[in-house]
Amino acid sequence: MSERDVGKPAFEMKQVSKVYPGTIAVDKVDFDVFPGEVHALIGENGAGKTTLMSMISGSFDDYTGDIFVNGNKVDLRSPAQAKKNGIEMIYQELSLALPISVAENVLVGRLPRKGIFIDKEKMVSETFENLSKVGLEHIDPMIPIEDISQHEAQLVEIAKALGNNPSILVMDEPTSALSREEVERLFEIIDGLRKMGLAIVYISHHLPEIFKIADRVTVMRDGHRIDTRNINDVTQEELIQMMVGESVTEFYRHDIFSGEKVRLKVEKLTRYGFFHDVSFQAREGEILGIGGLSGAGRSELARVLVALDKRDKGRIELDGKEIKSRNMAQALDEGFAYLSENRKTEGLAPRLNIQDNILSALVPRLSKNGVYDKEKGDPVLMKLIEELSIYPPDPNREVSNLSGGNQQKVLMAKWIAIEPKVLILDEPTRGVDIGAKVIIHNAIEALAKEGRTILLISSDLPELVSLSHRVMIMRQGHFIKEMQKAECTEESVLLAANGEGA
Amino acid sequence: MSDLEQNKTDLRSVSQTGFLKILNVAGIYGVVVLFILLGIFLQLLGVINNFMTASNMLNIVDAVSMLGIVALGMAFITYSGHFADLSAPTTMALTGIVAVQMLQFGFVAAIVSAFIVGTIIGLINAFAIGKLKVNPIIWTLALNYMTLGVIRVIWANKQIYPDMIASSEKAVELFDNIYRLRFFNKIALPMIMLIILVFLFHFVMSKSKFGIQLKITGAAKKSAEYSGINVERMIGAAFIISALTATLGGLTVTSLSRVGAWYNGAGYDFKAVTAIVIGGMTLAGGRGSIIGVLGGVLVIGLMNNLMTLLGVGTFSQDMIRGIIFIIVVGLNAKSLRNLGRDDA
Amino acid sequence: MRNKINKKQILSLGDRYRIYVLFVLVFVVMTLFAPHFFNAWNLTSIMKTVAMNGTVAIGFTIILIVGQLDLSIGTIITFAAVIGLGLKDAVGYGVSVPLAIIAGGLIGLINGLLVAKVKINSFIVTLGMLTALQGAIYTITGGNTIAVTDDQAFAISDWLQHQIVPMLTPRVIIAIVLVVSFSIFLRRTRKGRNFFMVGGNSKTAWLAGVDSDKYTIVAFVISGVMAAIGGILFAMESAAATLNLGTNSLMYVLSATIIGGTSMAGGKGGVFRSFIAVLTLTTLYNGIVLLGLGNEVQIFISGIILASVILYEAFVEYRHDKVVGQRPELLKELNTIQ
Repeated sequence: MSERDVGKPAFEMKQVSKVYPGTIAVDKVDFDVFPGEVHALIGENGAGKTTLMSMISGSFDDYTGDIFVNGNKVDLRSPAQAKKNGIEMIYQELSLALPISVAENVLVGRLPRKGIFIDKEKMVSETFENLSKVGLEHIDPMIPIEDISQHEAQLVEIAKALGNNPSILVMDEPTSALSREEVERLFEIIDGLRKMGLAIVYISHHLPEIFKIADRVTVMRDGHRIDTRNINDVTQEELIQMMVGESVTEFYRHDIFSGEKVRLKVEKLTRYGFFHDVSFQAREGEILGIGGLSGAGRSELARVLVALDKRDKGRIELDGKEIKSRNMAQALDEGFAYLSENRKTEGLAPRLNIQDNILSALVPRLSKNGVYDKEKGDPVLMKLIEELSIYPPDPNREVSNLSGGNQQKVLMAKWIAIEPKVLILDEPTRGVDIGAKVIIHNAIEALAKEGRTILLISSDLPELVSLSHRVMIMRQGHFIKEMQKAECTEESVLLAANGEGA
Repeated sequence: MSDLEQNKTDLRSVSQTGFLKILNVAGIYGVVVLFILLGIFLQLLGVINNFMTASNMLNIVDAVSMLGIVALGMAFITYSGHFADLSAPTTMALTGIVAVQMLQFGFVAAIVSAFIVGTIIGLINAFAIGKLKVNPIIWTLALNYMTLGVIRVIWANKQIYPDMIASSEKAVELFDNIYRLRFFNKIALPMIMLIILVFLFHFVMSKSKFGIQLKITGAAKKSAEYSGINVERMIGAAFIISALTATLGGLTVTSLSRVGAWYNGAGYDFKAVTAIVIGGMTLAGGRGSIIGVLGGVLVIGLMNNLMTLLGVGTFSQDMIRGIIFIIVVGLNAKSLRNLGRDDA
Repeated sequence: MRNKINKKQILSLGDRYRIYVLFVLVFVVMTLFAPHFFNAWNLTSIMKTVAMNGTVAIGFTIILIVGQLDLSIGTIITFAAVIGLGLKDAVGYGVSVPLAIIAGGLIGLINGLLVAKVKINSFIVTLGMLTALQGAIYTITGGNTIAVTDDQAFAISDWLQHQIVPMLTPRVIIAIVLVVSFSIFLRRTRKGRNFFMVGGNSKTAWLAGVDSDKYTIVAFVISGVMAAIGGILFAMESAAATLNLGTNSLMYVLSATIIGGTSMAGGKGGVFRSFIAVLTLTTLYNGIVLLGLGNEVQIFISGIILASVILYEAFVEYRHDKVVGQRPELLKELNTIQ
């Protein structure tokens, strides 16, 4: 692990910069990876790591500085050039073509040929070989991507990159859509690749992951490289400090919730094939965490609670009154709200401005006799922009131009604006920087203090454990365990979510 | 991704939507002014006569009032992110024919039944595209074809004339007057309808609850759904509005030609799209305005008028219109892209 | 899991072959019920009608595969016919026919450049092109049919009508050769597969070093060339270029392509299937006429068929959306309770 001072780096960048009109996204950064090393790259959103990564994968033709592969100076000005130099990327957002077969996605750009024609037999067998590396032997290589699940697709993405036999592998948040088991599996794969001598760049927001898998770590902030350290010589707190530039104390709840009044009562709620017989109660002012692996049915439960999907069975009671909403508009009127996990497609209208987005669920209430009164929304709009420190604080700014953290704050503001009795938060801080995370956590806390009931669905265990008053564990479509504050630790929640220690 | 976005942020401290609105609207009215200046210039040179006269200006609006009526309604579909209503031509034809046929029961019966038929067509589109989410272009093309089939099966290629069917002279006269009635001897009824629709639709699109929710639906359908907006109903309503204005257009065209026939309304689909898109409404949805669409309609009117005064043949006019259409849209796309937008 | 995939596979298999089933069905029904349907003369005339739209459908299918739309094919057909026949007296077929085909390619190139490089929606580009070409056609011809009347033209017209193999005239053979070649090209070569990749996800294509813009432009050029070939050959056979030659083709070809199973969303489809769909529609129309029903009924029925196919696909999608993500083991649990 530490013999790297002997050999030369597999990949090296010297004084690279990338300038967008008006700003320098990456400013004279040095970065290198050695064969057989996992080098983690971390930083808040907007720190420049995505730009640096895009540079490695050949997305820019206008960077400055020098890039070396195995000591030779190379140009990486197109994805094709990057590929030619043995560089492969695994993207956070899927880059697979949905209507196309798994095989063609995995082997894109290098379909095996016999003469001028494609060799189908070889195509299938090669794909099978690649799929088995990531544990997907059961998938038929000829079915289109749209017919497999999202987890499987994420693994196909990895198989695709590995199939090109790269010598340098760049992974951007590869675990964001994976379940715990799959993450373990991926780490085994990465470890194997490291042993085979691959140079791996690993980008993540998730610090525990980095301590588990990385050999070295580089922190970026504001387009600069702050420092590069051996993983053994650094603590999590130090890394956070380098990322944010100041020390941040994360909120942790110690008090026991003592509220009495039941706000939400759910009995034997069922949507066939998604979750069965889910019953629970949540009180006024309570933050009820819902833990579990992704795919356990948590989001599906949320969708039924707000009537986006129809329930097949069961009863929902709010403040003692049975709720029978037929669509989401009615559910909102009853006092529900749902912040969905996918902010870009299910939460925001990126092409509209902050004002339109924050007020989008409030339109019916700001309208009288079908006439929309825009001005009436201004006070709440300005208040939320200020409270959540949305930057820039300009209601006319288009949301697609905001950073990920500010986009998430806009989404949060949208649901706070309608003043729900029950607010369901589905991964409220996924993929946002630490600054935004703290602001969102404080907002959640404040909402609970106002007496609102929060259902917090989160795969971020520290977040789930520290914010929740109580955690329910969901597994394979059932509520399997309820954990009081005292017994809630990251470990115990994780064990329960995996069906152990119950 | 987020880095990219962050960096773009710093470039634009100007209020975005406000600026673009001005660009889109002033853009098309800039073209309007340009064409008027061109006309004045040509008149001063003596190349054309009678351009800058009150009656010619009225003529210009008069000539595009039917197109305007159809385009204003169809604009709601474009705004909702569903391109266009290519079933408009046969909707116009069918409602016109039905009206003429029903003149045997009087004028009111004729108008009411035309609107009933128009509403049914709108409902079919609303169901297929709003509820079943089929591709709007192929679906409305298919429906156009089917409606054409209905017309030709029932009326078997016959053309029907109001004066041969109507119950009374009075009914014929009233029907003829849909197009011909003039206020103050100058301002035609379709023009009045156009003006009323501009005010009404502008209000609906920019100030009503429906308009705002339609905008969110057009800009991001799934997010709209997750905001408690009944997107199926929004989209459906847009198609019904379009069918209703097509009905109004159909009645007017039929009144103008004094004959109910399957070809009434031919070409109105593409002409309306042209006006809408020139008027700054992007196919991506959620962007543009009724005032802009009106500008698009006026540009087409001015262009036609100038070309006619210049003695350009009808067919060459088509050619020039097609080319100008592509150029205007191309420039618009480019200016939007320079602003970091990619949704033309 | 296994069960689910199998069911899906059967469904997608059914989708893939539905057009062949449909064709056999139409053919059998017409053979049984339509008078004078099943004879060499009638079948030959069906094939002759198929030749033009079958060729045009090649290009249109590729356009849909890359995720675009080309509304201008109908006018390109007429435009090519007008150029090819109109210039014949001046330069002869030897020059005018290649010119017509090049013209089609150039129009496609302009469409493609505007779509891929200027990034205007193809619906708008080809709509503008349609309007412009329509005007150009009428301006060039003054609104009159162009007819060629010299002996050479008639000789070529006669040759084009002559059956080289029973039922197959030169135009039909050219169409079939084109369909088969493009079908093999698209299905079996890397470049061919790239068209699907561009339509399926242009980002994937770009990352794999596939130049999406280039493939989009080429698709439009192919569309223009195919429309031109279809148009000019048809006009040469009839020794006349009428100005409504291509008018019905857009609807015809679009219907056939969709019914054949090519997706408007891009990334899915096949040239051969579109050809069979053209054949099916033509057989249907022919049969309807033989059954003594008029042109009106033909329009009506084809509208209904297209609408049913679109609705059927929407329905399948709707059902798919409802169950996507269901956990089979939970459903099993349900069965044990009941």
